[in-house]
Amino acid sequence: MMKVKNGDIDKMGLLYERYNRQLFRFIFNMTRQKELSEDMVQNIFLRMLKYPDGFMGFGEFKTWMYHIARNAVYDHFRKVKRTPAHYDLTNLEEHIEGDQKSDTLLEKEQEFKTLETAMDKLSEENRELLILCRFQELKYHEIAKILNTTEGAIKVRVHRALNQLKTNYLRIEN
Amino acid sequence: MECKDYRDQFTSLLTDSIHQKERREIENHLAGCAECHKEFEAARKIWDLMGEIPQPEPSPSMRTNFDVMLNNFKEESVAKRNPVGEWINRMREYLSLQAQPRLAFSLLLVAAGLIGGYLLHQPGQSSIAYNKQIDTLTSQVSQMKEVMMLTLLNDPSASQRMRAVSYTEEISNVDLKVIGALFTTLNGDPNVNVRLATLDALVKLADEPKVREGLVRCIDLQESPLMQSAIADAMVKLQEKSSVMSLKKLLGKKGLNQMVKTNIEKSIQKLI
Repeated sequence: MMKVKNGDIDKMGLLYERYNRQLFRFIFNMTRQKELSEDMVQNIFLRMLKYPDGFMGFGEFKTWMYHIARNAVYDHFRKVKRTPAHYDLTNLEEHIEGDQKSDTLLEKEQEFKTLETAMDKLSEENRELLILCRFQELKYHEIAKILNTTEGAIKVRVHRALNQLKTNYLRIEN
Repeated sequence: MECKDYRDQFTSLLTDSIHQKERREIENHLAGCAECHKEFEAARKIWDLMGEIPQPEPSPSMRTNFDVMLNNFKEESVAKRNPVGEWINRMREYLSLQAQPRLAFSLLLVAAGLIGGYLLHQPGQSSIAYNKQIDTLTSQVSQMKEVMMLTLLNDPSASQRMRAVSYTEEISNVDLKVIGALFTTLNGDPNVNVRLATLDALVKLADEPKVREGLVRCIDLQESPLMQSAIADAMVKLQEKSSVMSLKKLLGKKGLNQMVKTNIEKSIQKLI
């Protein structure tokens, strides 16, 4: 990123190569809208090109990227009140096409829908934590850097968020 | 540890952010505690389910759009850059690179100045050393004058010999060597003026007993009337009573100048 800052714009291509999927998934899990997420990824990279001074040169590029991404996502939520959108399960259906739709798969589909609803019922904060931890597979210390807090605090908060999700899930299931 | 403490660790166990030792402890507990085992399985089910949720891939158009965007941006930024601006930027970069060593260098200079000033201003040591140097120089100059004087005294030119005699005034510590040389000049120099000047120089050194002694002894060696009366005057000036004998002897000398004779008689009277 320091090279991009010093005018080597092509290096941004490398960063894109490395992080675009990760960034896309984060935004997608936050918003559950594929096209919107793709647009936002584009905008975030453009933003990093335009304002490279935001990157201080210390710390990780990834942390900076998540900072910008979170701002973008929350800006979006402020403009459009978050409406529970659904995961696109057509992929899953495509995936199992050819096989007979067995009971277990139908059951799985049902479980995903329950999980989705359980996640929607979480607070924004808890939902984001679980997305960072589970879907983005970030370590506690990485999340701590993104959210500007300590690793210990993240550990406790993720635990609470997961417990909350479990409670939500079980309540919906019954 | 109680069940609650173990349950607090469940999430860490799932996220694999736990030490091997603790992991084993929890697993041991789970094997023995049915309640906790049930709790953990419920948490794990949710955790695994989250991992199984289908995650979409970004469409290929995203990549294409990015490439287009990157190219546009590059072109724009090239167009925006004017040579003057770039030059200024480069200068600024260069200066900012220079700033650090420059600052370090100026601090170094200030420090050197302070240390130098401090050392120069240490009153005790340095002034003693300074005085010592001056003393050495002075004594060296004086030694040189002595050598020069001794050499000049043997010069064939009378005026040079006069100059040599006059140097004795500038030699701080007149030693026996110089006095000896002066007496040799006083008794043996062919030129009366040189001898007179030597007499003057020796009278100035009369604090030294050897000089007085030598002066008294040289009274009867002088042939020139000028010298004879000058010595008589000098003896009066020095109040050298031991010279009376020699002066009286001089009076008895044959062919003594009448003027000198009167002069010496007066001197003897003054001395007695």
